[in-house]
Amino acid sequence: MAVIEVKNLRKYYKVHQKEPGLSGSIRSLFHRKYYDVKAVDNVSFEIGEGELIGFIGPNGAGKTTTLKVLSGLLYPTSGHVSVLGFTPWDRKPAFQKQFSLVMGQKNQLWWDLPAIESFILNKEIYEVPDNKYKKTLDELVELLDVADILKVQVRKLSLGQRMKMELIAALIHSPKILFLDEPTIGLDVVMQKKMRDFIKEYNHRYRATIILTSHYMDDVKELCDRVVIIDKGKLIFDGLLDEIIKKYADHKLITVIFSKNNVTRADVEKLGELKEFESPKAVISVKRASAPKVAAKILEEFPVADINLEEPQIEDIIREVFTGKDFA
Amino acid sequence: MRKYLTVFAIDWQNQFIYRLNFILWRLRNVLRVLMTYFLWTSIFSSQTSVFGYTREQMVAYLLLALFVNSLVASAPSNDNVGGEVSNGTLNNFLVKPIGYLRYWFTRDLSSKLLNIIFAIGEIALLYLLFRPSLYVSPSIMSILLLISAVIIYFLLGKLAISIVFWAPEQTWGLMFIVLVLMEMLTGLIFPLDLLPRWAFSALQFTPFPYLIYFPLISAIGRPVAFRFLLQSLFWVAILYYLVKKVWAKGLKTYSASGI
Ligand SMILES: Nc1ncnc2c1ncn2[C@@H]1O[C@H](COP(=O)(O)OP(=O)(O)OP(=O)(O)O)[C@@H](O)[C@H]1O
Ligand SMILES: [Mg+2]
Repeated sequence: MAVIEVKNLRKYYKVHQKEPGLSGSIRSLFHRKYYDVKAVDNVSFEIGEGELIGFIGPNGAGKTTTLKVLSGLLYPTSGHVSVLGFTPWDRKPAFQKQFSLVMGQKNQLWWDLPAIESFILNKEIYEVPDNKYKKTLDELVELLDVADILKVQVRKLSLGQRMKMELIAALIHSPKILFLDEPTIGLDVVMQKKMRDFIKEYNHRYRATIILTSHYMDDVKELCDRVVIIDKGKLIFDGLLDEIIKKYADHKLITVIFSKNNVTRADVEKLGELKEFESPKAVISVKRASAPKVAAKILEEFPVADINLEEPQIEDIIREVFTGKDFA
Repeated sequence: MRKYLTVFAIDWQNQFIYRLNFILWRLRNVLRVLMTYFLWTSIFSSQTSVFGYTREQMVAYLLLALFVNSLVASAPSNDNVGGEVSNGTLNNFLVKPIGYLRYWFTRDLSSKLLNIIFAIGEIALLYLLFRPSLYVSPSIMSILLLISAVIIYFLLGKLAISIVFWAPEQTWGLMFIVLVLMEMLTGLIFPLDLLPRWAFSALQFTPFPYLIYFPLISAIGRPVAFRFLLQSLFWVAILYYLVKKVWAKGLKTYSASGI
């Protein structure tokens, strides 16, 4: 059963054109020229209960806009949206009690007070019963390992600690649906990993439905089986991550380090598409099927110190998908 | 209801973080009373009564104005709502089952309570200094006028600030005008019946004298016609309606344009 349904969603922002110069700005006082920014342009997808979806795309693709429509912050220009059977922008309390929106760059905690105060406020706002609150809080505090900083003024927390607290504040009412907009932004690799582990665990433990946006492919790789990719407001892929890799990655990378410096660029260029050459190291991209053959050939014909056969980095694949290289 | 009580409690704690700010704000209020006090003292040095106010009555008026002003005009919402709308903090509230204006009204109430506690202390001090004949006779009428004033002030501010929905850069523009008018026309620095008769009559058709002047003269025991209470409540109704309408429209624009 789909808990989130998006059909032909469009969100155009009306932006008025600022004309340069004084006369221009006076003229625009009386006669404003508007143009549309097509932030989301005819996007459809469905998400089932308990799914954890990676919602990715380059800057300005329309990810945040989509999440804002799904949380009821923005009215769409057209299209049909249903989340848990509700129309988000009606902003019904019954709906609001069942989801949470977390934006990595925005915060909801009271800056000058310990985070626990904000949790208590959210408990009341969402009308969470005392015993349920205590149980949820204990679990979250343990999962995120923040027991010792609950009573520290939020302004004195590090970015990573604060992000954990933001998550607790967002989860204290046990939402069934989570919209996470770049939850790992600005965190160091260790903290990113912890955040990921938590999101994964939360998804498993509570069967929460999660849409996650991130520019870090590690997040997506580790957490999401399914990805939805948009660019310039248009949906360009919706399916399993493995599928893109299979579909788009019809080649493998061979990294060789030669044991002598006498191998020339021209020598290796014959073997496949040369990605990198810096003697004694070369990276060659070859068709998946012929990879073993090429590797054998290299070992036979050249003095090799080390050779490595690997799948292309998912970052590279996604970059190629983003830049519109047509694989279909 | 409980959620707003919690908002009150948390805001109460939060207020103690910015102690210095608060003390300076209170100091400003006291200085204003002192300034107007010295101004009036110099006027009273040449005559014993001005427009029917004796020196003592005038001092009593000014001291009580400190109190009424602390109650009515302590409204952090006026300093914050504009910014929160224009920088998108409002989003935090729109996704939650809580009313944004109610939330801010509650925080205002918490601020009012703290300010009143301080105002009472300050008045006691000033009283010991000047020993005016301070006659206070709070009645149902004056209490109703005060409550009404608190609400009018809140609504007026929210109406002025709603311009930010259409001009997100204007977080302060209209608010500034309203605040200046408030200083001049509410009776904060002088009793409004000192004004020429026509000006005083004209003012009665604005919300301003219902903020300080009428609750105040009622509290010091001067007769206030019942119709002024009705007019005050009338302003509550009108402004409530306007704020509801304009904010609904504003939120619609906000949700369409996505500030
Ligand atoms: N309030 C707004 N008014 C006008 N245009 C807007 C507004 N908000 C976003 N846009 C535009 O809409 C497009 C989509 O923006 P959005 O924030 O949804 O992108 P995004 O995918 O979240 O990007 P990022 O990865 O950088 O966060 C962009 O071109 C952006 O400039
Ligand atoms: Mg974004």
